[in-house]
Amino acid sequence: MSAPLKPSHSNRMSPRELISDALAHIDHLLPAQGPILNFVHHNTIHGFQHLPFDDALAEVEKLTGITGYLPEQTMRQYYEKGRITDTDIFAALAANKTLHCEEVFCALPSQIIYRKTVYRLALLFDFSAITSSQLVWQTQTLNALNSAQSDVPKAVCDRLFSNVAKPDSALFDLWEVILAKLHLSNTLLHSEDLLNLTSTQIDAWFAQNQVEANNKVRNAWSTQANDLFTQHFLSLGDAYTLRGLVNQLTGVDCLQFVQPQLIRLCASALDEGIASWSLPERHQLGLFGAWRAMLSYGFHDALGQLPTAKQIIDELPENAIDTIIYHLSAQHIPQEKWADYLKRLALELPGWAGMINWREHHREYSPANDVKPTLADFLAIRLTLDRLWLDKICRETWHVDARLDKLQAYFERNIAEFDIRYQLYNGHLPEYLSHQAEELMQFSHYKKTLTPKFQQLADVIWTWQHSPLAEKQASTDAVYTIAWRAFRLCQHLGLNAASVNLLSETQLREMLYLLDEFTQTERQKIWLVAYEWHYRAQIFHCLTENYLRGRWYQRNTRPTAQMIFCMDEREESFRRHIEELNPEFETFGAAGFFGVAMQYKSVDAKKFTPLCPVTVTPTHFVYEREDSPFSLSSIAHQKGDIRYKKYHYLQHQSVRRYLFCSALIMALLAPFNLIELVARSIMPRMTKKITSLLHQILVPNVSTTLHITATRVNSNEQVMGFTDDEQALRVANFLKTIGLTSQFAPIVCFIGHGSTSQNNPHESAHDCGACGGKQGGANARAIAAMANRLEIRELLRDKFEIVIPDDCWFVGAQHDTCSDDMSWYDTSAIPQNMQALYENFKTALLKARDSASHERCRRLRNLQNSISHQEAREHVKERSADLSQVRPEFGHATNAFAVVGRRALTQGAFFDRRAFLISYDPTQDLDGKILEGILLAVGPVGAGINLEYYFSTVNNERFGCGTKIPHNITGLFAVMEGSNSDLRTGLPKQMIEIHEAMRLQLIVEAKTCVLEQIYARQPSLIELIGGGWVHLSAKDPDSNAIFMFERGVGFVRWENDNATHALPMYETSPDYYRNHRESLSPVLIAQPH
Amino acid sequence: MENLIVLIPLFPLLASICIGGLHIFSVIEGEKSERLTARLANYAVGLSCLIALLLLCQDCWLGNNAVLTLGNWLSVDDFVIKLGFFTHGFSLKLAVIFALLLCVVTRFSVNYLHREAGFHRFFFVLSLFAFAMFMLVLSATALGTFMGWEIAGLCSYLLIGYLYHRQHATENATRVFITNRIGDAGFIAGVVLCYLWLGTINWLDIPVFIHQLSAQKLNLIALCFVMAAMVKSAQLPFTPWLARAMEGPTPSSAIFYGAIMIHSGVYLLFLIRPLLELTPLIAGFVAVIGLLTAFYAYVVGLTQTDIKTSLIFATSGQLGLLFFECGLGFWQLATWHLCAHIIVRAYQLLTAPSLLHNIKNTPIEGVHGFLAKHHRFYTYATQRFWLELITDWLIVKPVMNLASDLNYMDKQIIDPLMGSPAPTIHAISSLAQAQERNIGAHLDSTEDTFAQGSGLAGKLTQWTASILNWFESHFILHGASDDVFHYGRRLGHIANQTELALLRPRYLVTFIFITLLVAM
Repeated sequence: MSAPLKPSHSNRMSPRELISDALAHIDHLLPAQGPILNFVHHNTIHGFQHLPFDDALAEVEKLTGITGYLPEQTMRQYYEKGRITDTDIFAALAANKTLHCEEVFCALPSQIIYRKTVYRLALLFDFSAITSSQLVWQTQTLNALNSAQSDVPKAVCDRLFSNVAKPDSALFDLWEVILAKLHLSNTLLHSEDLLNLTSTQIDAWFAQNQVEANNKVRNAWSTQANDLFTQHFLSLGDAYTLRGLVNQLTGVDCLQFVQPQLIRLCASALDEGIASWSLPERHQLGLFGAWRAMLSYGFHDALGQLPTAKQIIDELPENAIDTIIYHLSAQHIPQEKWADYLKRLALELPGWAGMINWREHHREYSPANDVKPTLADFLAIRLTLDRLWLDKICRETWHVDARLDKLQAYFERNIAEFDIRYQLYNGHLPEYLSHQAEELMQFSHYKKTLTPKFQQLADVIWTWQHSPLAEKQASTDAVYTIAWRAFRLCQHLGLNAASVNLLSETQLREMLYLLDEFTQTERQKIWLVAYEWHYRAQIFHCLTENYLRGRWYQRNTRPTAQMIFCMDEREESFRRHIEELNPEFETFGAAGFFGVAMQYKSVDAKKFTPLCPVTVTPTHFVYEREDSPFSLSSIAHQKGDIRYKKYHYLQHQSVRRYLFCSALIMALLAPFNLIELVARSIMPRMTKKITSLLHQILVPNVSTTLHITATRVNSNEQVMGFTDDEQALRVANFLKTIGLTSQFAPIVCFIGHGSTSQNNPHESAHDCGACGGKQGGANARAIAAMANRLEIRELLRDKFEIVIPDDCWFVGAQHDTCSDDMSWYDTSAIPQNMQALYENFKTALLKARDSASHERCRRLRNLQNSISHQEAREHVKERSADLSQVRPEFGHATNAFAVVGRRALTQGAFFDRRAFLISYDPTQDLDGKILEGILLAVGPVGAGINLEYYFSTVNNERFGCGTKIPHNITGLFAVMEGSNSDLRTGLPKQMIEIHEAMRLQLIVEAKTCVLEQIYARQPSLIELIGGGWVHLSAKDPDSNAIFMFERGVGFVRWENDNATHALPMYETSPDYYRNHRESLSPVLIAQPH
Repeated sequence: MENLIVLIPLFPLLASICIGGLHIFSVIEGEKSERLTARLANYAVGLSCLIALLLLCQDCWLGNNAVLTLGNWLSVDDFVIKLGFFTHGFSLKLAVIFALLLCVVTRFSVNYLHREAGFHRFFFVLSLFAFAMFMLVLSATALGTFMGWEIAGLCSYLLIGYLYHRQHATENATRVFITNRIGDAGFIAGVVLCYLWLGTINWLDIPVFIHQLSAQKLNLIALCFVMAAMVKSAQLPFTPWLARAMEGPTPSSAIFYGAIMIHSGVYLLFLIRPLLELTPLIAGFVAVIGLLTAFYAYVVGLTQTDIKTSLIFATSGQLGLLFFECGLGFWQLATWHLCAHIIVRAYQLLTAPSLLHNIKNTPIEGVHGFLAKHHRFYTYATQRFWLELITDWLIVKPVMNLASDLNYMDKQIIDPLMGSPAPTIHAISSLAQAQERNIGAHLDSTEDTFAQGSGLAGKLTQWTASILNWFESHFILHGASDDVFHYGRRLGHIANQTELALLRPRYLVTFIFITLLVAM
């Protein structure tokens, strides 16, 4: 995050530099999500990644008020389900040295209370203070003084009532003892009783609030109100903008007028093809300039309702940054606050600001609409609009302009009004007072001077604030705060009246102080760690039990077939099922672009798209070309494609675009639309079949090949295809990375992946992250084609010492993770003598695929548990074709760990689609060079996916984009809620429902010394691992030892507490997952021989 | 066989009562009951659809009677309202199309709203809406149509505000609801006038009697109905409400504003076709409004950048054309146009989230010619011709100010006159007050406490006494001092203010209304 600018620093800078500098800092705080068509997972709070995890979350909370941990409630549910145990909690507590949890807190004859005992209770139960009305409810309705609290466990309850003379009054006695110890008495009031004060009450409060006779109440009030006033105006910029200030004092939010204007304007400028008429002259003038040009047509002030509009528009500078300076100076915002003020302003509509900022920093992104917006444009427009409306509001309310100095001066004279307004519009007042206050606000339009009335009401409010009813939690010693908390705590500790009597008042208070100290954030940190540890222990236990069970530990035989999948955790079940069904098959995992970074154009596409991780800019261009471009089928294909596009234009564009023509077009389309709608809703699968058949007839398929080999080397950076050397290098590097350098099977299949679904703006979030949110089939096809070329095989043999036998053929394929369909590429090129082998392989693979579909279906809530493989297969197909399906698949949900190492390490274990599996053979990489490359690629990608899911889950409304139901596609680049909201970034609720928010466990099969060296060399790994964004552990390649990396300590050997407890082994995967909907812990699966 | 027509609205009504009732008593709740709710809603609308298809087949082959009358719904003295349904012709055809689309959307919503908090609420409203729409198209009496009309409006309000924790959603829902009330007033007035002047509110009887009426009366009745139709189908100047309605879930946007409810205005024009044919003036008005709306929506629609709003302005444009066609009397054309539009728009809205796929390779054609050259019009279009602002300024603001004035008058004049509870006035309510009282000062009290009373009589006495006291102290005891001039000036000022206030448009308009009411 941006370090706050120091005033001394800013003084040396010119205003323009100050603004540019501030804008550069804002860049880190805004969402970095680009246009939704290339959805790439990244850490939601990437701007804070340079800080350690917990500190970053604290910073985010300070800045935005959003907590980055799962709510305690959820964690308590996990505890109840056994997903977190007391052992985990105590271990997590012990890990936090500042808590001193082993210390004895107090020793009573009946029991010894450790600090950790209290902490554990604080985690499991809610000990927050309640209000006086809640206390009444508790004592009078819920009988809290007669029966134990409902959440006290049975065993503790028994202890509480044992050794008590009169069990009936045990709790009442306890309550009395606590009250006596704390010197409190039980008095309860209703808030409207305050309208008629009794003299005893008054005397009591005078005494309580130490208002002495000579120090008049008015003075005390005035000091307080002035403090509030000063503080309020001082926090302008840090906490809110002028809009927030005025909103808090009038209840009118100028954003409600500004937002529609601003959104329409930005959307019009950024639009990539929904509207046919966009902001004129935006190419030449930019966003701000084009908007400024529009102002002369009465853009915002048609009725002359904005009092200062004419003057401001006349004075508006030509340049965005100058405009920002102009407004900030005109509104008298102190210069040292400018940076914070702009930051706050940008964060009020983070989605839009983020998108514009993204476009500013990705100039190479050139959609149909080539405006180059800048964040400064956005903020300048926002400031102008804000000012126009704020002036209007302020003039109507106080007859002054919206200037900080004027407002300050006004309220210095009318401090009572300030006090009331502040209390009213911040929702601090009880109903009877807010009524009166609101009435006064209304009448202020009619009467010029209401000063005495304001003063009167301010007095009443002050009185209420100083009565016991004001419910200033924890700060006051009230019955319903400390006594109630002590009461609950004692019950949970199993302390009865007699035991409490032995405690001193200090001890009792210290016990509460301990609870106070252990704040919610602290508790949530402990919960998260405990949660992660529980699952990590399960993985480690499984890995150690699985030691030496997996096949291909020593790769000394030749498998029947080999498959290289994407590392994606969705492929984990696929691979497991393949190996369960065919012990002769070997599988690998690697980043799904298979080392071939390219710009790719398919046969029907208009332009090239990059297929590689977003951090790479590919310079090689590969296109798909028709085998016989002038054949009949090819011409039919081209014509069909044009017709098909024309149909789409009619259906989705013309009917919106034209007025009279569209009436005609509709008459044409209506019958087909009706049939399609009805058919799709009654039988989506059949309809999909028919439509794809129709598509096949209209646009016949043509056979194509990839043009991968460079024909000429251009002098410029863009190269068509790869030269032979480049191809060999890529193939060799890739094979070495995954450790496949010998024992090539007859069929080696590269399987990329993508996802197709209907009505899903977030579709590309399901595609391959390693291909930049695109489908990875083309990469698989490209590398297979390269590896099949004889020239390349020769080069591989000569230069890289990789010998690929002649009877080995590489096949490219793509797995659709939504419908589980497989597409195969260039199968006609397979030599005749291998066709039979290929067919067998394909049949076996498809069978495993059906099992994988079946396993996936267990988590779909609207399905029966007992469905067959065939039904499951049909269901997932239907799901991807279903218009109404908002959960076509679950994407990366539940991802939790990544294993970099030989497949032998994990094969035979059931990991419930939660593991990224990356193949790496440490025996072929003694110096760790290959590992370094893998970690640099996998670390950030895995962490990006995992953290995006983490944050979208912990707070889906704020970090994620909420439910998909009201989503509305805007400008083809993002979604809004309804037609007038901020752009929603992050993942929708439907994608993260089953996710478990925990940080990624990165488990690497390597020597710790190798890892330590790599870690020391790579700052990006230090940031991720050292900062606690990812947990690293090392599995020793030669033994069964696992070492955990502890921040600040280094590698520590993991001790298995469950060593005696053998992990269950199931015959097959379905035996284990059948009848289970929830997430499953790792177990062993028997392996066929 | 024709009696089956009753079942068409009845099934969805039963379904909605079941879902709503069981949900209120927490019998169906949460995810586990989704299947039950979905089945109820699906079966109900599915059965309605089958019956409608059956009746349509029968109508095509054998021909049904035009109307099925079930008997009297309400009869007081000679005030008789019959319960009747159309079983023939355009209404039935429209009912079939509606039923098919309702089926599609209900099925669609099952998956779409799976695991949403408001699942049962949504299906309750959707079923109720199905009932309302069937009533609206099938009812042979104006009152039945009106019932459907009103319930459909209510359902639309409930679904725009479906995500009621979002401020935008609730604000827009309320705005839409209130705008629609203007149309309802027109409808009611139309029905009442029909009954008063024609003695019937059966749609088929109206053409029989209208020849007796004078042109003015006919014009007035037609105008009332046309007003209702204009609001419901979002014609100028009411068009902006439609754009605000896009806050609900996608299926409800599709069914309410793309496909079904939005067309009920046009359908109403079909119902009053005989009336319109006799009132060329009103028909002309309809045509002009329609054409204006079409152009307005077209130009504004060109600049819309989110798919729902873009579609909704396209819808508005076509509705304008439909009005235009009806106004000119091209009823056959309008029939075809209406049906095609319903279907295509429903399709488009339901597939709107697929837009990224569907138009990726087919860029939209930009504007050229006149519009592209005149940037001024771009401004007008993005600002939607300031239509909402103008209506706000003309209607909403004056009404709100009037309410505020009345409230002020209430609080300042009426309440004290009626007497407020004494304790709240006189008790000590703040510590500051208590302290002052201890010291013996009454700083905060500006009122002369010479005499005190409560209630009208008490106050009157108190005031008389104070006025006399004041008069005495200012004019008699102090003699004619500066005070006299001071108070004189203040009196003059107040008189001036009052006169200015009374000349404000809101009061003028109110007075005109009052005068009209009294005159009538």
